[in-house]
Amino acid sequence: MKLSVKIGNAIFQNPVTVASGTFPHAEKYYSLEEVQSLGAIVPKTVTLFAQEGNPPVRIVETPSGMLNAIGIENPGADGFIAKKLPPLQKTGVPLIISVLGHNEEQFIKLTEKFNAAKGISALELNLSCPNLGHKVLVAQDPKATERIVKTVKAISKYPVLAKLSPDVTDIRDIAQAAEAGGADGISMINTFTGMVIDIQKRRSVIGNFTGGLSGPAIRPIAVRMVHQVYQTVKIPIIAMGGIMNAEDALQFIIAGATMVSVGTANFINPRAPLDVLNGIKEYMKQQKVKDIRDLTGILEK
Amino acid sequence: MEKLQNTYKVVSNEKLCPRFYRMCINAPSIKKNVKPGQFIHIRVEDGLQPFFRRPFSVYRADKYVEIFYEVVGPGTGILAEKVKGDVLDIVGPVGTPFVLPSEKTKQVVMVAGGIGVAPFLILSDVLKKRKLDLVLLYGGRTKGHVYPMKEFKANGCKVMVATDDGSVGTKGRVTQLFSKIKMDPATTEIYTCGPNPMMAAVQDFAKKNNIKGQAACEEVMACALGACLGCSIKTTSGYKTVCYDGPVFDLAEVIF
Repeated sequence: MKLSVKIGNAIFQNPVTVASGTFPHAEKYYSLEEVQSLGAIVPKTVTLFAQEGNPPVRIVETPSGMLNAIGIENPGADGFIAKKLPPLQKTGVPLIISVLGHNEEQFIKLTEKFNAAKGISALELNLSCPNLGHKVLVAQDPKATERIVKTVKAISKYPVLAKLSPDVTDIRDIAQAAEAGGADGISMINTFTGMVIDIQKRRSVIGNFTGGLSGPAIRPIAVRMVHQVYQTVKIPIIAMGGIMNAEDALQFIIAGATMVSVGTANFINPRAPLDVLNGIKEYMKQQKVKDIRDLTGILEK
Repeated sequence: MEKLQNTYKVVSNEKLCPRFYRMCINAPSIKKNVKPGQFIHIRVEDGLQPFFRRPFSVYRADKYVEIFYEVVGPGTGILAEKVKGDVLDIVGPVGTPFVLPSEKTKQVVMVAGGIGVAPFLILSDVLKKRKLDLVLLYGGRTKGHVYPMKEFKANGCKVMVATDDGSVGTKGRVTQLFSKIKMDPATTEIYTCGPNPMMAAVQDFAKKNNIKGQAACEEVMACALGACLGCSIKTTSGYKTVCYDGPVFDLAEVIF
């Protein structure tokens, strides 16, 4: 059974990874053998400078999902490289580093810093950042998406993935822009912006007013979007959006994903990424599929 | 991962007074590893509703692992329906435990509000082996909400109660009970758990009297493993997660 997949020149031993900001202290809670069974690890998004994050309340439970507005609390690139990167490198699992710059210059500096670090397989650009001078996010503007991807791609020594927001009129336009900018792959989807209101206080529950909706509540929309983008671009897709188990993951692969990321499910079932991988293997055995790549995009019409 | 996440059987689930339940769970590995102040994260239902697990302080780890909980919403409502033999998917024990009192400490004052008494029985179970003057100051809404304190008394705790309506113990706030005991800043330590306004009052008292203390905090949680950063609270050194950095913090450090 062949499970390995490729994005740009990066090879992953299997298609299962974890979505940024959802994977616990791997070295503490997973055995080394368990961590090493993952195809890749995507740590929480790193910004150039440390960010303390949003004021509480940061999360709220919703039907079959959750809303979060953490505010990318992180120690900054230098802090991450000094403290968080070494234990992850020790696992030997390929790392896809998620970076967010608040402007083009910051994306350049982040890329340079990670170019100088070791043990990294790819960069994922979190484009859900303000598009300077505009009211929209970079990921909501095809031109800005293409420009940022192109800028990073010109200097990055790693394959570059563009992470897309679903809060757009047509996600295919953004995916095409990322491809035109030279992206090696698409990560999709980020959370949907949502609100929960406390009717007694008549206030938004989330401290940041709005939050990102994730979990199985968004999965059918994510599957549809992956299907659309698969038909539009040639570069591989890392798919995420409410994957709780192998069946969910396989839907994304059949829709067109090369890799799948387990995100919010890590909070509910820390074992979820391992279960997903085992379930995919079982399915391949049952269906007599010899190479996982033969499953990508085989949706019947 | 087996150490972290496993399924265990409910041994008993008993209603002690309106809204308060005590559940015994047959969980040998949790029993062996848990330290006072740590918690377990229970998936009350296999499906997606409710979506999050629910965190509970371990109340006692003796023959079984026990939790003492209040029914406050749909998650705890489902838990209250569990019966002997039901299976629960549990993550834990997790979280930073209480720092046990130092060698020179002679008196431990536990200040609990409502269900905030939950982490203190296991603490007194551990501390009873030491020659300490154990005091539990307990604040509740009304008589029906005051859990019988037999086990605390059996552990040698001096128990004093305050209720909002005076139906049992002193009428008023639990912090009014401070005036009824003698404390020496050099040899007393305070441990508190309860609603934030109560812990803020305890913090204020401890600061004014130069007594050191610890606070066990509570927050809505998703992962309980320090991953999502959803349960962060404000401290004097920035945001810290209740699940991973806490739930136990230095009392002076928390900004309530």
